[in-house]
Amino acid sequence: MITLDVRDIRKKFGNHQVLKGVSFRIDGPELVGLIGPNGAGKTTLTNVLDGAIKPDGGVIRLNDRRIDPLHPYEVARAGLGRTFQVTRAFRRMTVLENLYVPALAMDRHANRRLVDEKANEILAFLTIDHLRNEYGRALSGGQQKLLELGRLLMLDPDVYILDEPFAGVHPSLMATIYKWIERVNGQGKAIILISHQMESIFTLCRRLLVLNFGDVIADGPPQVVKNDPEVIKAYLGNEEDMSGTGLVTLKEAPHA
Amino acid sequence: MIARLPKFAGFAAAAGLLLFPVFYTAGNYDFVMHLWITAFFYAILASSWALLAGYGGQFSFAHLAFMAIGAYGAGILDNYVVLTSLPTGTCSEFGLFGTNIVFLPPSGTENAAACLDAARATWPAGATVSRFPLLLQVIFGAVLGGGFGWLIGSLVLRLRAAYLALFTVGFSEILRAVIGAEVWLTRGQAGLPLSPLFPQGITLFGRTYGPADKLPAYYVMLFLFFGTLALLLWIARSRIGLFLRSLREDEDAAEALGVDTVRYKRAVFVITAAIAATAGALQAHYVGLITPNTIVVLQMSLVIAMAVIGGLENIVAAAVGAILISFGLEFLRTDFTVFGVTVDMGTWRLVFFGLVLMLTLRFLRNGVIQGGLMWIERRGIGAETVAKRRATETVA
Repeated sequence: MITLDVRDIRKKFGNHQVLKGVSFRIDGPELVGLIGPNGAGKTTLTNVLDGAIKPDGGVIRLNDRRIDPLHPYEVARAGLGRTFQVTRAFRRMTVLENLYVPALAMDRHANRRLVDEKANEILAFLTIDHLRNEYGRALSGGQQKLLELGRLLMLDPDVYILDEPFAGVHPSLMATIYKWIERVNGQGKAIILISHQMESIFTLCRRLLVLNFGDVIADGPPQVVKNDPEVIKAYLGNEEDMSGTGLVTLKEAPHA
Repeated sequence: MIARLPKFAGFAAAAGLLLFPVFYTAGNYDFVMHLWITAFFYAILASSWALLAGYGGQFSFAHLAFMAIGAYGAGILDNYVVLTSLPTGTCSEFGLFGTNIVFLPPSGTENAAACLDAARATWPAGATVSRFPLLLQVIFGAVLGGGFGWLIGSLVLRLRAAYLALFTVGFSEILRAVIGAEVWLTRGQAGLPLSPLFPQGITLFGRTYGPADKLPAYYVMLFLFFGTLALLLWIARSRIGLFLRSLREDEDAAEALGVDTVRYKRAVFVITAAIAATAGALQAHYVGLITPNTIVVLQMSLVIAMAVIGGLENIVAAAVGAILISFGLEFLRTDFTVFGVTVDMGTWRLVFFGLVLMLTLRFLRNGVIQGGLMWIERRGIGAETVAKRRATETVA
């Protein structure tokens, strides 16, 4: 079974303690929402999990294997894949070539025909198969997000970290991303979903992790978390004007 | 039909180049052959640089430095190491398989072979002295170049774009200064002389060619050029080429998708540096001299301009660009008169060359040759995309 065990992760940039001992554990095909105000440390945490930033302290174990000392490419091969907040399609490579990269990086002797078949199946699923021979830069912003999700499927890790997959995406493509998440989750993979779109988080996730000032301040089912006084305080600062803030959506969000 | 054109043109050009020295008989034979040999040399440099910069995104200015490392590596062996049939007793030497490898003490402009000459005076007739084998010299140069490629590749791992370019300019200039300063070994600005490729001449298909004949050197460079192209194209089309392009596009994303970017960055430096060094070693033997000024930044800019005008992201395009420009620069030497004003092309040709470079960068970002190849290769893709989209829309 898939396990991700994050224990007491600390990271300091200069005098700024960005992560103050983050701990959580994922068992099996969970779909976890990671939320928190801007500057809470979500992206830093992602970069630490991915190996791009080395933590000052703490241990990360993926399927009982320590991954915190590994390079990002080793982490990816060990079974943890991520997307980036700002889309990072390979712009001067075709859509198909974008998908070949992780497949061949994972298995250098992979059968090209099988890789090609899988890539085409994924592109069809993501509704961008007609663009297979276009360069990445010819795709719209939303399509590039889909391309990134497709690349991640080719890597096929155990734990998927999605950093703002819905940002700047048209509602019609949103449905495709929902379908993608359900498919991955249905295949027994764990997903950590970072998003500021509370509706999506509450619709999809059965567990929420709330990060604030580098600490996990709440961890549990969405309906419990959203009534947590500390979470409300973190999202509001004070309890006066709620209009136009994240809390309105937080309170009115549908029950998961 | 058009899609097959590049391949057909490629084979025709290769056949033409193979037969050219046999069928070309004009009076300027040696001059034209010299132009071709130089063109192949630049084509090797430009195409290997295209793999480094166009595929790998490593915009290095150290390519000619690697070339010079290969040339000096071979030159040092050529000047200071000889094989003899008898031990000298006075030079430092050791025996191997019945021959003696003799190391002459490098001493700048003084006669390095003094100890050898003294010994030879006492030897019986029939004792032989020969240079260190050419092939081993070239291999040594290539390995040395590759080693420096590994070193530079490791040092620039964290540097990107302009910083990498500046770093490599720095390395290149340091190397030039060191070569210029270490007169005892390199003879400094005077340059290190090298023996001809075939000092005793060579017999090909029943015809004997002397050391100064151009035909053997032409084929040596041509085969190195073909070999280089084959190797580079193989790399470019393999997964290594795919990974190189992915790290050019976005190093972090490539790494997050499981690509060992450090390994491929180093690898592309080692491979292209070794290619440049091999070309340098052979070209130095052909020219007979290697000087530190061959690696000034202006010369490096010439190689870069060749690759850019041909097409940076296509190996063959960069090579063709290099050939066209090395010939173009020669033909531009011819002065001409317009409206009674004589243009001195000796000085003005670089102006025209710069103009071509600027126009290419402004209007043909993919290069003159590569732009055409891309047009042929990707001609149908826009139409295909639209057709597929329409087909799916009608189904839905």
